[in-house]
Amino acid sequence: MPPATIDQHPAPVERAAAHILVVDDDAEIRRLAAKLLREHGHRTSLARDGREMWQALESAAIDLVILDIMLPGSNGLNLCREIRQTSNVPVIMVTALGSDADRIVGLEIGADDYLAKPFNPRELVARVNAVLRRSRAEPGVPHSAQHLLQFSGWVLDARRREVVNPAGVVVDLSTGEYDLLVTFLENPQRVLTRDQLMDSAKNRAATGFDRAIDIQVSRLRKKLDSSADGQAMIKTIRGTGYMFVPTVVRA
Amino acid sequence: MMRKLDTLVARMILVSLVGISLVHVLSIWSYEGALDRELARANETQLADRIVMIKRSVVAVAEGNREALAHELSSGPLEAHWNKTRGAVSGGAGAERWQGVVTGVLAAAPELRSDDVVLGTGGDPHAALMSLRLPDGSWVNVDLFASSRPGHSGHSHGTLLSTSIMAGGVVLLALFLARWLTGPLRSMAQAVSAMEPGSPRQTLPERGPLEVRQLAAAFNGMRARIADLVQRRTHALAAVSHDLRTPLTRLRLRLDEVRDTPSQEAMLADIAEMESMIDATLSYLRGHDTGETPRKFDVAALLATIVDAAHDAGHAVTLASPHGVVVLGRPLALKRALTNLVDNAVTFAGTVAVSSAADVTDIIIEISDDGPGIPEDKLAEVLEPFVRLETSRNRQSGGVGLGLAIARAGVEANGGTLTLRNRPAGGLVAEVRLPAPVS
Repeated sequence: MPPATIDQHPAPVERAAAHILVVDDDAEIRRLAAKLLREHGHRTSLARDGREMWQALESAAIDLVILDIMLPGSNGLNLCREIRQTSNVPVIMVTALGSDADRIVGLEIGADDYLAKPFNPRELVARVNAVLRRSRAEPGVPHSAQHLLQFSGWVLDARRREVVNPAGVVVDLSTGEYDLLVTFLENPQRVLTRDQLMDSAKNRAATGFDRAIDIQVSRLRKKLDSSADGQAMIKTIRGTGYMFVPTVVRA
Repeated sequence: MMRKLDTLVARMILVSLVGISLVHVLSIWSYEGALDRELARANETQLADRIVMIKRSVVAVAEGNREALAHELSSGPLEAHWNKTRGAVSGGAGAERWQGVVTGVLAAAPELRSDDVVLGTGGDPHAALMSLRLPDGSWVNVDLFASSRPGHSGHSHGTLLSTSIMAGGVVLLALFLARWLTGPLRSMAQAVSAMEPGSPRQTLPERGPLEVRQLAAAFNGMRARIADLVQRRTHALAAVSHDLRTPLTRLRLRLDEVRDTPSQEAMLADIAEMESMIDATLSYLRGHDTGETPRKFDVAALLATIVDAAHDAGHAVTLASPHGVVVLGRPLALKRALTNLVDNAVTFAGTVAVSSAADVTDIIIEISDDGPGIPEDKLAEVLEPFVRLETSRNRQSGGVGLGLAIARAGVEANGGTLTLRNRPAGGLVAEVRLPAPVS
């Protein structure tokens, strides 16, 4: 990623309609998820298994696939791997297995995001929009291909949703703090208003972000920076918002 | 007494010792009896031969020399005299003891008839007088003394000594033998005790004597069957919990359709409760097998996340922790454990204080509340799965009663310990002790 410049606008929240393929063997979940996505302005196609999924992918221009792991015949992990051999279409894995090991496997074989059942409907919409926004910002590059973000010796692993400090120690962040940090990392050296931060992060996950943005920033600062007031990394821009100071490198 | 004979070693020593001592004493007894009889017979024969020899010598010389010759030939246990008259009076106390000598004399001297030999003791069984009639009617009178048995007592000392030596040898041998035989059993017992109940791959080595190998094989077989049974039950429970997630997903999506109705909030709360019960059950069933590899992580940041979340949920929770408390372990397991402990505390208490302190060897995290505490006799029990204190801890507490059990499993997966204690001022303290990393 080229060094960002101040006059660029932060990535806008993507509201444009997309064509989404829902692959799930449970008819009711297919129907309900499709209805939900249509209500949020997307077009949908439905598939019951791998065979129907391939048919849909061939017959229409699909912008995003929501793929259940537990499918009859070839399972979702295998299907995701096969999709990645020919296409960069964004994939969100959905599973009832819900262990962290499953999540990491899903992301490592090329899924763009991962959602555990039973998911919050608003969170599904938020994740879909976030993945679409990322894929449109950088078309042709699956998000999972560059899942490491480096800054000031720190590393954020998007697959594991994990942050490691320069000493190699994992530093736990809440969902809100993590989403806030990702927003900062995607917009380094730019002044972000409180509204932009709130909006951008909320889009990623609806939970855990109800506190005022200032409290989230102050908690994040404490965890990232033990020195003094933690101003070194996240600078307060008086009357406007915040700016993330270090250079960010994607790998 | 029976308790002291509890071990195979002791029993084997006892059986060998008693058995061999008995055989030894009996054989010595019968051997010595035979030896005594043989010795007595030899004595009698020798005595008889000498008496016959004296009689024949006396007969061969002139009458004037007979007394002198008889005296000359006397020695040891016999003293002979030649007289015209018979000295011995037949019979007397203990005369039958000397009968062997009489028989010997008659056997050695066929020229004597049985009434030519007269034996009498005259009252003293240790001495006897034997008279032999010569062809001319004169008599050879022989005084006989019972030969004493020198060294008889020494002989019995020898028996005692040899028995003792043998007994000592038997004890040593039995000890060695028993240790050798029971060694495989003891090492098997150790191996069984050291086994982790939850790891099906561990098996007993099938070594040692055939019987022990068979025992180990039987044990391994039983263990495999139990593991299989437990695993099938676990799978069944996990499958049910897991399958519940699909209908719950539908429920959530359907609730989104009926949004803005007043009961939606309540239904969402019910679904959330069901989800947390399923999560608790599944994470308990997964146990230590979290699939996490140990890594360095910051406990202070973990505590901050948990305490902030509780604070945001409207609970009065404070945190006192130094910055950057690094531990080598499994962060997800510990986060689940500490979250459960904090959740448990805020459920029962008004205010909760979380603190952490680190020294060279330990990291101590304390979660203390001002709630009702737990009765002293239940402090250990509540850490067991599916245990809930119905009196003070109700439905909202731990759902299915796994919260504290999962907390303990999570702490133990990090090599630590979890203990509960009541505060003197009231309230409960959950203390988590973790090993400090060697950095």
